[in-house]
Amino acid sequence: MTGSTHGQPYAVPVPKGYRVGRWEVREPLASGAFATVYAARNTLPGAELPPSAALKFLPTGTRTPRQLHHLRELAEREVELLKRLRAPRLIRMHEALTVEDPDHPELDGATVLVLERAEGSLDILLDQAPAPASGPALLAQICEGLNQLHHAGWVHGDLKPGNVLLMKDGSVRLADFNTAAELEGTHAYSPVFATPDYTPPELLWPEVSERGTRIRPTADIWAYGVLAHVVLTGTYPLPGSTTEARADAAMRYARGAEELRLSPRLPAVWQQIIADCLSPTHQQRAAHDTVTLLRRVEEAAGVTGSARLPRLRPRRWRRPALVTAVAAALLAGAVTVTYAIMRDDGPSYGYHRCPFRSVCFFSEQNGNGDMCAWEGDDPDWLSGRETCMWTADRPVRSIFYNGDESTGLGGVAYFRGRDYTPVGEDITRPNSRMRTGCTSQHAQGNLAGTYAPLSHRLIEHCGDSGDRTPSTEPEKSQDPSP
Amino acid sequence: MAVSMHSIIVVPPDCEGPGSHLRIGPGERLAFGRTTPGNDLVIAHDGVSRVAGEITAHRAFWILSNHSAHQTYVVENPEGAGEHVKVAPGRQDAPIPFEFSRVVLPAAGDLLSFDVWAPCHGFRARAAGPGAPGAATAPAFALDRTKRYFAVLAALCEPRLRRAPHAPLPTVDEVVERLRPSWPAASRSAVSWNIDYLAVKLRLRPGPDTPVPGQRLNGKKESLVSLALRFDLVREEDLLLLTAPVPSKAVS
Repeated sequence: MTGSTHGQPYAVPVPKGYRVGRWEVREPLASGAFATVYAARNTLPGAELPPSAALKFLPTGTRTPRQLHHLRELAEREVELLKRLRAPRLIRMHEALTVEDPDHPELDGATVLVLERAEGSLDILLDQAPAPASGPALLAQICEGLNQLHHAGWVHGDLKPGNVLLMKDGSVRLADFNTAAELEGTHAYSPVFATPDYTPPELLWPEVSERGTRIRPTADIWAYGVLAHVVLTGTYPLPGSTTEARADAAMRYARGAEELRLSPRLPAVWQQIIADCLSPTHQQRAAHDTVTLLRRVEEAAGVTGSARLPRLRPRRWRRPALVTAVAAALLAGAVTVTYAIMRDDGPSYGYHRCPFRSVCFFSEQNGNGDMCAWEGDDPDWLSGRETCMWTADRPVRSIFYNGDESTGLGGVAYFRGRDYTPVGEDITRPNSRMRTGCTSQHAQGNLAGTYAPLSHRLIEHCGDSGDRTPSTEPEKSQDPSP
Repeated sequence: MAVSMHSIIVVPPDCEGPGSHLRIGPGERLAFGRTTPGNDLVIAHDGVSRVAGEITAHRAFWILSNHSAHQTYVVENPEGAGEHVKVAPGRQDAPIPFEFSRVVLPAAGDLLSFDVWAPCHGFRARAAGPGAPGAATAPAFALDRTKRYFAVLAALCEPRLRRAPHAPLPTVDEVVERLRPSWPAASRSAVSWNIDYLAVKLRLRPGPDTPVPGQRLNGKKESLVSLALRFDLVREEDLLLLTAPVPSKAVS
């Protein structure tokens, strides 16, 4: 998504008031290389979906069947990623729809991603106010998003200010995953599209195969280095007044013919971070993964953070797409909509998703449904650096504490209140120990499913007397085994 | 991943294949002349200066310095209907704008030549407006639709664009016939040359080596066509090229 709307080859004109499923199209928000984004109003507001959203139209229609093959592939890539990956710093997809409207051949067959509504993108912010004071904080969140993406085994492939969205509350979401690719071993295959100013030297003129270009996470690290320099100084790190000149400089730098000279306006604390991201070769950049990078960036930005990260790793295997056709002929005349992906069709395959050294809570029994995972304590599930937003309106139904014995933390205690405080029944229930529940290391099982905790912390052990089962405390349901 | 950051390819005279191409990247220099020490490209002819000249890759194009005392070099565009650049003796860093160039050195009555390719010449993406291209997501391929190689690629893709996705690819002879109306001098070798050049230009990863040249060419054709169709490098509208005359005069 970029702010520019002129001369875009793939802009999709959608009339105001047009209906797609429950959504009514409002004003255009942005037009990018492959898609046009519109504001939309929810005509059937309910608890499940927000009153407004951003609709991203990708022209995957059938009007020109052989000509826009790559667009279909790019759309599928984005849908696939958003469907499988949920993380606080990645834009959230509510649903994906396909327009079926023979009366509008230019729209018929278009893929529509219903996305969280953002206020704008970073490139617009940078246009209005180069080198904003909020730069370091934004960069910390962008790095966090990149870390969440890499952690789940994906490479973004096109990180740049136009693809960083800013939400109403000032927080950041990474978006535009058309070029994102899931790692196969150490590489991923990305479609052959690039933004030269953010492309590492080894990919400026890449070798390609029929599957595309092979990219690695270090490509995102390079792009992050360029982006950080642009955000903090308002200039590109490599010299030159045109993209070609800067690409040329990148080549000379990668060959060792030229030194990297970062802007003197760059705060000292960022110099080394950016220099590391812009290491000339993949091998050198590989030493700086997003985990270590995030720690350094948060320190430089003065953001209090911790090493914890909700583990939202998607399943490693595929299953047939869940396709439910719903004829919505009543909506806007002859328009029908195929619901391809339902919004809560997230990863749903059991306890094994919970990484070692983590405690995981699930939205369904037996480790199914949405999962939030932590490596440590969290005093507030719904705000702060890590959030587990689905628990705002849904209970937790199962838990797995896949802990590490060597830590000596044998249990996880959880609470209905923030900051490990007991609330309501936690206090009144007999033998409550002033908490909602506690689960021992290596234990997994179903919970009552009537509440969601607001905080949890790791403790030495759940109980010192034999007054209850060692695994999960009173609110556990009858069937603790998966 | 083999990191290949060259932008300019120099094809020596009597070149035996891509293995003997000389590749240079931005800022790199290649000296040519009569003697071995000091020259990367040796042109063994008594009429050529010992230190005859120098080619420097500069962004996606190249610059030529003429070190000879008396001879003017001519750089021809073989697809350019006689278009050429003269580089006078002693001239330093003359920019050469062609994607394909033939450097002609006069040498005691003979004309010696070698080729230089600039496969990274950039072109704005189809239908994209002007603007700040560095910030826009763009296809990594830039093809010149007025070049022969594009007509060859279009002819190769034609059966699959017009008919079935698995239609057999045309043979080189069929491509020659198909292009003859717009390119009367088309020949087997010229078409094969363009197929080889496309593989270089699109940086196609070489497939497993097969000893039979025909199979190798066929594999290359297959890879080019799937790449071109997958990324929409050739579309149905481009097939018009096959019937309209190519703007430049045929030289090959």
